[in-house]
Amino acid sequence: MIVKDAVCPFCGCLCDDIEVEVDGDRVVAVTNACELGTKKFMGEKRLKNPILRDGDAWKDITYDEAARYAAGMLLSAERPLLYGWSGTHGEAQCVGVHMAELVRGVIDNTSSVCHGPSILAIQEVGHPGCTLGVVKNRADLVIYWGSNPIDAHPRHLSRYTRYAEGFFLDNAFRDRKVIVVDVRKTETANIADEFVQIKPGGDYAVLSALRAIVRGKTETIPRTVAGVTREQLVRVANLCKGAKFGAVYFGLGLTMTRGKYKNIRNAIELVSELSRHTKFTISAMRGHYNVYGSNEVNTWMTGYPFGIDFSRGIAFYNPGETTAVDILARKECDAALIVGSDPAAHFPRKCLEHLAEIPVVQLDPYPNATTAFCNVQIPVAVTGIDAVGTAYRMDGVPIRTRQVLSSGYPSDREVLLKMYTLMQEGKGQ
Amino acid sequence: MRSIIYYVREFLRPEWLKTFFFARTAPLETPSYFKGYPARTEKECTRCLSCMMICPAPGAIAVLRKKDQWGPEIYPGHCIRCGLCVEACPEGVLSSGRILDVTRRDGTAFWSWYHLQVDDSLCMRCGNCCVSCPVNREIDPQLGATGTSSSDEVIMRIEGGRVTILHEEKCTGCKTCEINCPNRAIRVARMVEGVQGEEAEA
Repeated sequence: MIVKDAVCPFCGCLCDDIEVEVDGDRVVAVTNACELGTKKFMGEKRLKNPILRDGDAWKDITYDEAARYAAGMLLSAERPLLYGWSGTHGEAQCVGVHMAELVRGVIDNTSSVCHGPSILAIQEVGHPGCTLGVVKNRADLVIYWGSNPIDAHPRHLSRYTRYAEGFFLDNAFRDRKVIVVDVRKTETANIADEFVQIKPGGDYAVLSALRAIVRGKTETIPRTVAGVTREQLVRVANLCKGAKFGAVYFGLGLTMTRGKYKNIRNAIELVSELSRHTKFTISAMRGHYNVYGSNEVNTWMTGYPFGIDFSRGIAFYNPGETTAVDILARKECDAALIVGSDPAAHFPRKCLEHLAEIPVVQLDPYPNATTAFCNVQIPVAVTGIDAVGTAYRMDGVPIRTRQVLSSGYPSDREVLLKMYTLMQEGKGQ
Repeated sequence: MRSIIYYVREFLRPEWLKTFFFARTAPLETPSYFKGYPARTEKECTRCLSCMMICPAPGAIAVLRKKDQWGPEIYPGHCIRCGLCVEACPEGVLSSGRILDVTRRDGTAFWSWYHLQVDDSLCMRCGNCCVSCPVNREIDPQLGATGTSSSDEVIMRIEGGRVTILHEEKCTGCKTCEINCPNRAIRVARMVEGVQGEEAEA
């Protein structure tokens, strides 16, 4: 059986044109998807059933037992942390927020270690952004700053930016220019028209220099700025000013280097500066397929996008205090529920040392690095493969993912609802 | 000492001296099958560059313009006189030895096409090659617009988790895919095969 127009649940591109060939409960071939999406669809070696740590071994348990364990763990915790949420659908994220409120816990998603700074900058100066469709149909200049879409969002260029035909461009492929700004020559830089190599940590200075040039203050720029020559900066600024419609896409090379949210703020201000000359937009290259959705769900339910602390009974947000890494590093939390992410593979050692000491329940279809830290792991259906659900593309467009096969695994929402019901009963509600 | 005397005696034999100094060899003359450096005929060059593309010796041949007229130029220091350019030229612009006579007599020709090869271990299936290919864009506008393949008539598309080459014969060798591949995974090679008879006339 071939399922057409399936949605790829890997990266923020959320490609919705995938053809999946299914044989029984197995995916046998994937068409149109990139390497990352194909591998996700073809994924094997899932956990068969929930597992409970029993000394040095794992014991198989039922979903009910696992849900009871998780509910009990969260109810008895003083300061539970509910982390992850980027690799699951919006409906499950809703349940997560309710759970966090019920147990007065902290709910945080992976953006606190990826595009959190972008959100902070947007909260300061706004977001002159647009959807990918606008870029595809109008942009004649695309800048990738601190991101390598060929590795992380492989179809971004062929589907939305560099190679796609544009409705308002006669020869989109010939007319579009691509500028790549990075600390090293990436695969994307191989196909860029202009590659700007900056010294690590020099993003802020280069952005400021570009702002000055766009403002007409070229004479104030030193000969080189963070390893970039003045001539190249002037060339880049002219390319930007000369474009009819420019789009900046930035990745973790900008958000997680020195300067963090100030880098993004500067980039957004460069974009507004350029918008005095032409049309320019800026958007984040969101990683997980539904990390944007996690921010959306949190925002519409609590008012804040990530790092929400319910310990006061109301939503409280203070990045740096109520975000997962800080809470773990301060050894504050005494239980953790991890959903759809792998903190053990990404968090600092200090945080993991604490994570190893507290009870941890993880919802994930596959064994991963966090498995080594958890007491219970509950395998769930993968959204977009054996579960339906809503996900938000990197540009904020909600897309309903499709189910391409039935595996019998419960979805994230079903498992979380079961836990939530138990927790409500436990609280006597 | 004895051996030296032996050698001196051997070489002083009148018989040996006679055959050595008065040997009768055939006069040196150019054989009929000799191939010199390719020379221009009066035929007009169409600048198809077949000669340059087939030449195995670097820098041996270049098609240059002289007063609005294109023509091949041979550089003797580099040319190895293999005669492939003479054989490859569809117009017979070059000639060398009896190559042209033989190809005409035998009805042989070179047939060339472009071979596409994708290294699956390097490829990210980003689709840049499929979408940027000008032939693909013409055949399947949807592929060009969204990267979504909707036709089996294209040269290549992402199918079954890899770049699948469907119609290699449609490739014109422009190498747009190769230039726009970020991982150097796709390679375009010009292939040449010797053909005879009807195939050669086609």
